[in-house]
Amino acid sequence: MTNLVVAFITGITTGGLSCMAVQGGLLASSLASQIEQDLAYAGKDSKGTIKPRIALPITLFLSSKLIVYTLLGALLGGLGQVLQITPTAQAILQFMIAIFMIGNALRMLNVHPIFRYFSFEPPSKVTRFIRRRSKSEGSWFSPLFLGALTVLIPCGVTQTMMAAAIATGDPLSGAALLFAFTLGTSPVFFALSYFATRLGALMEKYFIRIVAASLIILGILAFDTGLNLLGSPFSLTRVASGIRSGQAQEISDLQTTTSDASLTLNVVDKGYRPRKLHAPAGVPVTLTLITEDVYSCSRAFLIPAIDYAIILFATGEEKVEIPPQEPGTVLPFTCSMGMYTGEIIFDL
Amino acid sequence: MRKIEFLITDMHCVNCAMRLQDLEDILPGVKKVDASYHKGKMVVTFDETTVTIEDLIRETRKLGYTAIEENAI
Repeated sequence: MTNLVVAFITGITTGGLSCMAVQGGLLASSLASQIEQDLAYAGKDSKGTIKPRIALPITLFLSSKLIVYTLLGALLGGLGQVLQITPTAQAILQFMIAIFMIGNALRMLNVHPIFRYFSFEPPSKVTRFIRRRSKSEGSWFSPLFLGALTVLIPCGVTQTMMAAAIATGDPLSGAALLFAFTLGTSPVFFALSYFATRLGALMEKYFIRIVAASLIILGILAFDTGLNLLGSPFSLTRVASGIRSGQAQEISDLQTTTSDASLTLNVVDKGYRPRKLHAPAGVPVTLTLITEDVYSCSRAFLIPAIDYAIILFATGEEKVEIPPQEPGTVLPFTCSMGMYTGEIIFDL
Repeated sequence: MRKIEFLITDMHCVNCAMRLQDLEDILPGVKKVDASYHKGKMVVTFDETTVTIEDLIRETRKLGYTAIEENAI
């Protein structure tokens, strides 16, 4: 659920702006013919007002775009499922997403022409086809068709979301992710389309820096997620939680510290309680994961070091057998997005 | 028919390349425009009896880009 919210917010902020920069021209030109057509018939209007009906074509355009991207999400999610993504592969994918995002940001900031290769350029035959369609007569078909065609010119942020859809490894989650993202971009598209004609170039230059800066931040977060998935102790999330925990953490430690070889971890919407577990070294340990009405990504539970990954039921109990560990070993665990983390310390 | 390559330094996204293809509609003598954001270049095939290089540069400027004549192909 959380990652859907993140996708929606990404859509309504950076995604909307960056997609508008790439696909706005397509929408504007499909609207232009509608406006011309309406102006031509304006003389027949009984009220005598000239009001191009652009709300309908914009809605058609955006609905079509939403449907096509949702289908794409399902396809990419399915692809991720077929590829059987392990935590390590997921981490690599996250690193690639990070590189892609930061590369795109550097491209937008025009740091060096080499970064232009971070954007996907369709062959000129495809762009010519899209352009021709966009100039043809205004009808309900044109915006619907052009909305669907946006799938061929995804903007940088969309491309990252597509990679994230692959990483979900499930058609439904992939579809939901791209649906949430595209839905987020829609209000931005709708609002900006009202100021359409001159917007393309202006918007692009004005907002490009904000988009680039946001991409760099998102890129760093994606990199951090990759580190978490590999169980690295040096990720920003882990360092930050180490600083934050302190005293409150000790109390929960006392409650759960037991000398026998079984541990209990409560999986809640906001992560794992407690975040630090202590276990005896040298003996097999059974970790019981308890969920109760959990609907966040904390349900996708991983222990990278022992290559353990599971999607827990919303409510239920799951036992993980951990092989004997050397004294002093720290086993980090995380959710599949790398947002929620914790660790088991073998020091008893 | 002539074919000329232009350097376009101020494209900032893939969509710019698509916008440059508008030249095909603006100037009737222009047969084909192949613009690439990756390469920062535009190759124009045109009928030299109806369109001049100056026309191309002027119309490109109107679209918001600077075209620098690079070489004839």
